[in-house]
Amino acid sequence: MKDSYLGVDIGSISTKGVIIDDDNNIITSSYIWTEGNPIKAVRKLIDILKKDLPNNYQIKGIGTTGSARKLIGLLLKANIVKNEITAHAVGTLTFYPNVRTILEIGGQDSKIILIKNGIITNYAMNTLCAAGTGSFLSSQAKRLGLDVSEFGAYALKSKNPVKIAARCTVFAESDLVHKAQVGYPIEDIVAGLCKSIVLNYLNNVGKGKKIESPIIFQGGVSKNVGVIKYFKEILGEDIIVDENGHLMGAIGIAVLARKNKIGKTYSLELSNIAFDTKAIECGRCPNNCELLKIYRNNELVDSWGSKCGKY
Amino acid sequence: MTKVGIARGIFYYYYGDIWKNFFDYLKVPYIISPNTNKEIMENGMKYANDEMCLAFKTYLGHVSYLIDKCDYLIIPRIDNYKLDNQTCTNFLSAYDIVKNTFDIKILNYNIALDKHQNLKQGLINIGKQLGFSKEQSKKAYKYAVGLYKKDRARDITINMGKLNSNKTKILLLAHPYNTYDDLIGRDIIKYLNANNIEVIFSDKFDDKITNKLSEKITKDLYFKYSKDNIGALIYAKDKIDGVIFLSAFPCGPDSLTNELVMRKIDIPHINLVLDSNSSFTGIETRLESFIDMLKGGF
Repeated sequence: MKDSYLGVDIGSISTKGVIIDDDNNIITSSYIWTEGNPIKAVRKLIDILKKDLPNNYQIKGIGTTGSARKLIGLLLKANIVKNEITAHAVGTLTFYPNVRTILEIGGQDSKIILIKNGIITNYAMNTLCAAGTGSFLSSQAKRLGLDVSEFGAYALKSKNPVKIAARCTVFAESDLVHKAQVGYPIEDIVAGLCKSIVLNYLNNVGKGKKIESPIIFQGGVSKNVGVIKYFKEILGEDIIVDENGHLMGAIGIAVLARKNKIGKTYSLELSNIAFDTKAIECGRCPNNCELLKIYRNNELVDSWGSKCGKY
Repeated sequence: MTKVGIARGIFYYYYGDIWKNFFDYLKVPYIISPNTNKEIMENGMKYANDEMCLAFKTYLGHVSYLIDKCDYLIIPRIDNYKLDNQTCTNFLSAYDIVKNTFDIKILNYNIALDKHQNLKQGLINIGKQLGFSKEQSKKAYKYAVGLYKKDRARDITINMGKLNSNKTKILLLAHPYNTYDDLIGRDIIKYLNANNIEVIFSDKFDDKITNKLSEKITKDLYFKYSKDNIGALIYAKDKIDGVIFLSAFPCGPDSLTNELVMRKIDIPHINLVLDSNSSFTGIETRLESFIDMLKGGF
């Protein structure tokens, strides 16, 4: 039996899973939509991965990352649960030990990670608002009646991208409507959107940070060739987009699962495991905390959301 | 006997102790609103308009809590500590906003050092409104400020002593009414402490030193509390591992100052902007990754 390690990255939009061996080779991977239900998505993901995993491998470590990492960590009994910034950096450094800058635009987060000599020296993440992220792009694509996957190709056709205010989705949308109504061709509008994503990112997340080569662009939006084009153009540098860029978080957490293995062998059989959450409002003090109780096989494994720490 | 209400917000974190000492000396009973809880915050939202910052909305919640529990509220109107040291509009407008929103008597005084209106006069005024002679109030003022200065000096010594700690050190750069509020900063401090971080507070430095030091970043800034905060950063910068900028949405001075500072310093930092709907999940991701980075290992 050979050893292997599972990494699961549960984001707001998509859920990514990867199984690697001791030499960081990807044995199998999968990328599916979260569709607002991380537990269901992970069950589906594990089923897909299980089918593709050769019989001579056993799982010796499980790691979870992404915004649902804690919940799924309990479901899978992961041996490591880590934030996505660390996971992304570790994953990327595994394949690109010399990388200096990681640009990442995901479903509702965007971040920049600066690395020197294999150590994160600085990073930034978008604050309150999700303008200029994947969810913004997909809602605008819907407005224009396009599929988000063909968005980039449309942008490449344009010679004159229109100017769009991308600071705020609401303003961008009214800008977009105006531009369409006065007759701009759709490819110019799409190109304008892609360009505004880049400008917005550099102004909000990348502000004041020294972006040095080699630069890697990741996250769901890195699949958009239009956005890549404008990153290259505006930064005046080459941008590396790895074909597994969308999996870097999952790979990173799988690597961390290997480094932190505890000698246990895990089963990928989830169908016989009941996993429920119950939300209740506490009401014992004026805080009225919303408590979330997590049950695994009808046994309370954790509860979250209490301010006082009693529960 | 008349009872004075002290709202646990904004001014409380600068003047609360002085007020308490002052009323203690004069044997005036007072009530302080409890730590911020959700009910207080939600009540505050009802009275606030949507352009006010989270801290001020919370403040109005504290005021509404006290309305039927006291005879007077104490609310100053703070304009400036000299013209190059002004405060944000909340400090200037709180008295008038509360007076126009709630039906309650207010003990008020102005602080505008450019017009020579200072704390001593202010407290003497308040003493007068409560029926004390100028002499009595003067003594109470002396007692209140004396005790406060002693406590403050001790706090500063403890805080600055942390700069020599062996743990990973983070400067929490924030206004005290955000830092110490139960629904704004407390969870962050708790999380950092639980992860073995030495938390140093930007408001617990000697402002005589820090106010001037802020000029190393910019000479154009005229917000007193922002200047004190960034001066603390300059003072501490060679001894700390990272900075957390914490502010309440949509704070005017912070959005200008923090932005400016972040562009000029080369210390690892993150910017946390909190609003009432902030769940701790997003904050935790940022704090966890920040700590990972500072500790340098995965």
